[in-house]
Amino acid sequence: MTIDMKAMKLKGVERYKQERDWFQMGLNACRFMPGEEFKLQAQLLEILLDSKQVVVDCVENDQPFIGGYFCNAPELFHAMNLPWFMLMETPFLAATAPYLLADIEGSEEMGLGTDLCTAIRLPIYYIEKGLMPIPTCVLGLLYPCDGAPMLHQVIEHNKAWKDVPIYCADPPYTSDERAIEYFAEELKRMTEFLEQHTGRTLDLERLKTVCEESNRTYTIWQDYNELRRHVPSPHGWEIGGAQAFAISQCFVAGDPKCTAWFEQLYRVGQMRIERGAGASEAEGWREKIRLFWFDIMPYGWIFEFMPWLESTFGAVIVMDMFGNFPYTLIDTTSEETIFHDLAKRNLIDSPMIRQARGTAENFSNDIRRIVEDYKIDVVIWPGHMGHKDGAATIGIMRDTCREIGVPFLHIGLDLFDKRYTSIDEVKEKVTDFFKGMGLA
Amino acid sequence: METGIRSAAFQTFIEATSGIMNSELQAWKDGGGKVMGFFCTTVPEELFTAAGLAGFRMRGTGSTSTELSDACFSAINCSYPRHTMNQALEGHYDFLDGLVCINSCDHVRRVYDNWIRKLGTPFVKVMSLPRKVGQPQIDWYFDEINKLRKDIEAHFSVEITDESLRQAIRLHNEIRALQKQVYQFRLPDAPLMTGEETLAVMVAGTAIPKPRYKVLLEEFLKDMQSHKETHKGHRARVMIIGGELDDTEFIRVIEEQGALVVTDSTCYGSRLMWRPVDESYDDPVKAMANYYIYDRPSCPRMYGDQPRRIAYTRELAKEFRVDGVIGERLMFCDQWLVEHYMTNDDLKEDGIPFLAIDREYLLSGKGQLRTRVQAFLETIEGLRSEQS
Amino acid sequence: MVVAGVDIGSATGKAVIMIDGRIVGTSVLVSTAHPAKTAEIVMGQALEQAGLSSVDQLKHVVCTGYGRLNIPYAKENLSEISCHAKGAHWMVPSVRTVIDVGGQDCKVISLSPKGTVLEFKMNDRCAAGTGRFFEAMARALCCGLEGLSDPANQGDNPCAISNQCSVFAESEVVTLVNEGIELENIISGINVSVASRLTSMSRRVGIINDVVLTGGCSKNQGLIMALETKIKTKLIALPHDPQIAGALGAAIFAAERLEAETGNKCP
Repeated sequence: MTIDMKAMKLKGVERYKQERDWFQMGLNACRFMPGEEFKLQAQLLEILLDSKQVVVDCVENDQPFIGGYFCNAPELFHAMNLPWFMLMETPFLAATAPYLLADIEGSEEMGLGTDLCTAIRLPIYYIEKGLMPIPTCVLGLLYPCDGAPMLHQVIEHNKAWKDVPIYCADPPYTSDERAIEYFAEELKRMTEFLEQHTGRTLDLERLKTVCEESNRTYTIWQDYNELRRHVPSPHGWEIGGAQAFAISQCFVAGDPKCTAWFEQLYRVGQMRIERGAGASEAEGWREKIRLFWFDIMPYGWIFEFMPWLESTFGAVIVMDMFGNFPYTLIDTTSEETIFHDLAKRNLIDSPMIRQARGTAENFSNDIRRIVEDYKIDVVIWPGHMGHKDGAATIGIMRDTCREIGVPFLHIGLDLFDKRYTSIDEVKEKVTDFFKGMGLA
Repeated sequence: METGIRSAAFQTFIEATSGIMNSELQAWKDGGGKVMGFFCTTVPEELFTAAGLAGFRMRGTGSTSTELSDACFSAINCSYPRHTMNQALEGHYDFLDGLVCINSCDHVRRVYDNWIRKLGTPFVKVMSLPRKVGQPQIDWYFDEINKLRKDIEAHFSVEITDESLRQAIRLHNEIRALQKQVYQFRLPDAPLMTGEETLAVMVAGTAIPKPRYKVLLEEFLKDMQSHKETHKGHRARVMIIGGELDDTEFIRVIEEQGALVVTDSTCYGSRLMWRPVDESYDDPVKAMANYYIYDRPSCPRMYGDQPRRIAYTRELAKEFRVDGVIGERLMFCDQWLVEHYMTNDDLKEDGIPFLAIDREYLLSGKGQLRTRVQAFLETIEGLRSEQS
Repeated sequence: MVVAGVDIGSATGKAVIMIDGRIVGTSVLVSTAHPAKTAEIVMGQALEQAGLSSVDQLKHVVCTGYGRLNIPYAKENLSEISCHAKGAHWMVPSVRTVIDVGGQDCKVISLSPKGTVLEFKMNDRCAAGTGRFFEAMARALCCGLEGLSDPANQGDNPCAISNQCSVFAESEVVTLVNEGIELENIISGINVSVASRLTSMSRRVGIINDVVLTGGCSKNQGLIMALETKIKTKLIALPHDPQIAGALGAAIFAAERLEAETGNKCP
């Protein structure tokens, strides 16, 4: 049976357009909301929508674009002027969209079970159902977890994608200099692959410019994170970690738009501190409990949970997993140093990768550092059902927290599917915990 | 295990399969021999043999609970590392002189992190296994093997020469060839062995010191020359594919329904020995790196290799004239879940019935397993009679 | 040709006696703790209905269900998958998809046009989507199984029952009652929740018409309404008690075995 690839490509962008339209609605709403933070959200949404529209245009006009990931050194694709999208982005971006639960059920009906990470099941579902944009080529992901290489093997196996070349950089398990050099070679091979399949070439000067811009972005991000050490924290869950990560790694990387957003973020945070306002300003509660949410945000039910957490307990997410990006600046002296440092960043510094890819030290080291730096009162390991390695690190995290004298809560949930552990159950667990620890 | 095979060697294999410590391993230890535990089929066991150590594939056999390991793992973790770790925490692995872990999967790789924090095994290392099967990955693994080699030499005060490695490879290859002979007993229409009996031979091979295991295997093959009892009247010839399957009782329940498991692609099965290490390399470490990354049939964790894996499954299914394939996976295993998802499609194209079964490491829900297997066999028979 | 089929489930035992291809005796009763005892009692009742006095008068008996092993009078046992498929196909020859909702398990079976099982999916590891789930809900609502089933009680705004575990779902339902949600909407919500689960399982084997529902829970009209809405197709009503489908299939297998042995054709 021959596959009508033109029709497949157009069908593949339908869900993507739905997402784009969903975010357009969000942007329209943000534009009417008062406050600097909403302006920041609006700017972020504009950047997101731009990058989505570019992908749609590429599909409709048969222009090259790629599927990639935040830890495939996106500075490289940006330097090659390659529009890109993240194959796994829907669970994160559209988790509050009305069609998402139906999609999750669809993935179960395909026989993908209910114990495979939702963030892996959903892209597999979209690919198998022809609801994923079909790019010119794919830069896949083989880490940090087992699900990632399996997703990309399904892509290879899928008949409609058989002519889409895929390259996946191989992640070593160690984190030493040898590992960085090996990964740098993998990134070089990745670059050759992109040049071969997209017709674009990597210009070293352009790459330098992009990396230097990236350095500027991250420097400001680190400065902004310093602000969050303040008591009360100027921002909570609504702005900061997740958005900062998305904008710097997922939509644009090494772009002046990105730096400008961070500059604004810093200014807004600084202003809050100057007027003595915490995340609770104008909300009628005050910061009482400083939280470290050691995972991705619960995108599927964030609006039903986070505001409750803050208003009920004054519990502010001062730091989360994706807000913590201990970035080392890229040395742009030469091609060698650039690739070396990109390898280091994407193998060792990048959030979630740094904890989950290799051995478990960063689970405990990050807890220690963040608890101390941010004066954390409670460490929460949400326990997303897809984090199997994290689930096997529970004892280590608990022991670390006991050692440093900070309460540790493990919940057990699905960040995207509220049926897995209901929101009421999550709230009950959190309430019982805070009360039991004398925090509420 | 009920068996019609009259062989003292086979009884030794059964003993080795039904617990952790066994009499052969105990004799080895009593004679001053040292034991290196290891996880996963991609750890280059030849290295241990060359160092004069006995390799032992880690199992949770005999575990009845995860009371102790529950402090390390969660309910969404695989029961195999949970039970294995629990056995260790109860002291059943105190005999180990060393342990080599590897990043085979998200669950098992964390055994390393928990083990070094909870247990006092003197030498514990973790290897970095690539996720692809290309030349850069073979080169990486070449370095990993040499690194481990140096660590073993330093800790155990032993020299692992290239010659001792070559000899170890030869010994392991000889064992592989003998094990392959054992598999041939199930080629005929009326096989001489069951799948349950074959698994006992294979699991024992991971628990008995290699030189002794080879002797026993040769004795077993000699004993089989006078074994005339064959297995007939089975409803279907079945192949099992999957991962960490060391439990002969699981196979027994399947075969009790009337299936005969005639071949497999599992972590204790054919993948261990179907192809030998290429001894023509000058550098034995290069030979091992090539073997463990590329030459040996891979497991689903290896990206880009699914076409070769399904080709291997098809090759064996054809050779052993298989009527149906059962894919087992331990609950919470992402790798085998998605692999079976793709295999199901591929085997459908071939017209080969496929049944995916989820299980726990400790065999539970035998009634449910029986029902599924029975229904699968009835389906095969129904399709057979519809086609005829 | 006198044959019988017996289906010993954990919740109920069923027996069907056929003479020359006609159903002459059936029996359904609540299972005892011992499958052999259940098998004895249910067979006794079916024999009486059939006007027979002894199990020895049966030329062949096939047993199925969770308690199928070690039934003294059974000559053979077969899986409930095959038996439900056979029974459903005998009753509705055009059936291609069988959804069975039993006391403690549920399954979906895909059949070829000739009635051969092509594929199946089972949930026998938890009570979600089974008779036990409905019993728990009926208890929580104090409405009885008839109350859950009555079409008049199916509200137009079924509330979402998000818990898949029947234990937690029971608590959820109690909470809904305390919040003053209309009973009819809770009832329809329960049926919709089970229908969703069954639909999900069904889609995994592929839903091909004609579709039938078997098992004790198929008498729940509310479930039928919800399921037909979910799978967007009308379920074909069975001409006999859907709860006996497994036992009936077992009896038909018994007849076929006998026919194969003796060469006498079964009408």
